[in-house]
Amino acid sequence: MENKIEKDVMNCSFCKEQIEKEVVFCSNCGHPENGTDKERAQFFAKRAMEKSKNIDAGEKIKSARNTLFVLCGIMIVYGFIYYYSTKSILDLGVNFFVALIYLALAFWSEKKPFIALLSGLLLYLTLIIISAIIDPTSIVKGILWKFLIISYIGKGLYSAFDLQKVKTVNPNL
Amino acid sequence: MNQCGNCKKRYETNVNFCSTCGNQLLEKKSNVIDFIIAFYVSIIVFIGLSFFIYDGYKENIWVEILVESLFISLVIGFSLVRRKEMLQLYKFPKINKGLLSLYILVTIVNSFLVYYGVEFVNSFINDVSLNSYESYLYLDYPFLWALIFIAILPPIFEELAFRGFLFNLLTEVTSVKSTIIATSLLFALVHFSFISLIWIFPFGLFLGYLRFKYDSLWLPMLIHFIHNLCVLLVDYYVFNS
Repeated sequence: MENKIEKDVMNCSFCKEQIEKEVVFCSNCGHPENGTDKERAQFFAKRAMEKSKNIDAGEKIKSARNTLFVLCGIMIVYGFIYYYSTKSILDLGVNFFVALIYLALAFWSEKKPFIALLSGLLLYLTLIIISAIIDPTSIVKGILWKFLIISYIGKGLYSAFDLQKVKTVNPNL
Repeated sequence: MNQCGNCKKRYETNVNFCSTCGNQLLEKKSNVIDFIIAFYVSIIVFIGLSFFIYDGYKENIWVEILVESLFISLVIGFSLVRRKEMLQLYKFPKINKGLLSLYILVTIVNSFLVYYGVEFVNSFINDVSLNSYESYLYLDYPFLWALIFIAILPPIFEELAFRGFLFNLLTEVTSVKSTIIATSLLFALVHFSFISLIWIFPFGLFLGYLRFKYDSLWLPMLIHFIHNLCVLLVDYYVFNS
């Protein structure tokens, strides 16, 4: 029985994962173990393409993280502006607290970019709705900036998701 | 089991690539993210609109019933897309009686701490907190209405929305730990209140942990119900004394 298993399996020459001997492609990394030269060339070209896509994704995640830092800064500045006009310590505290959440999410995005950026985006959208309740006209104020912020975090979020997907397939990439 | 979409070969275990034609067999799940965002945004837009509706129709039970049923249909409508998974969550969990009493005790103590903590913070910032019982006094049976709208309906449908639907979608795209943290944060955010953000977040972590540990919605629903009931009873007692 053991002999038979040894006969039928081999290690993939690319990712070293155990695979069946007669298969054309490695089921773990997709390397054409028993494929043609053309297939092999395609495999490496695809990997090179994915690698450059990953670098691009890394950049997008970085700008999304920076957007969260900027939002944190904006909340602190607004906190001071409100404080000087209303003299209410509560407004200052609320703004600082929200800034703290943005800061925590920005740091969390270094470890878990996907879920941290998703939380950041949904926090931002929630704050837009809350300010719309307080003052309905606030929804159109600075609408271009809002789109810009949402698109920056959104791009980073989808890139982080793609990156996480690629990582589970090719951990050595 | 999965099947290669290119050459139709079937696999017993999960494989990344088809070994016959080299086709990548990974499911594309980015539509799950769109779904999560769509669900959350519809909830916050709905809550935002309901603020304006309640502001225009004060002390009107029919408006409250209408808004509440619209929220329930929104949550159920989304959940129907994953009805099989959602129904799985309504199985009764097996739980040790001692542990259950411990959870209930912790919930009761916590609800008193939260109640008086919020009162204290409100008195500190000169804000009058709303007595949840008092707002139903215009009706014939205020306690009954308060019980339905505070202690019974929110636990059932908030748990379905956050610990059921959102939790399941998030576990498809991220780890369980991240899911519990994210659902608690979003659960705290939809309450649209600064003070509740501080105490609802840890409460959400506890509910998320119970949902994960027992793979059922009954326990989070029970704990949420007991918490809301305690707060309502204290409000009732404070109002009458």
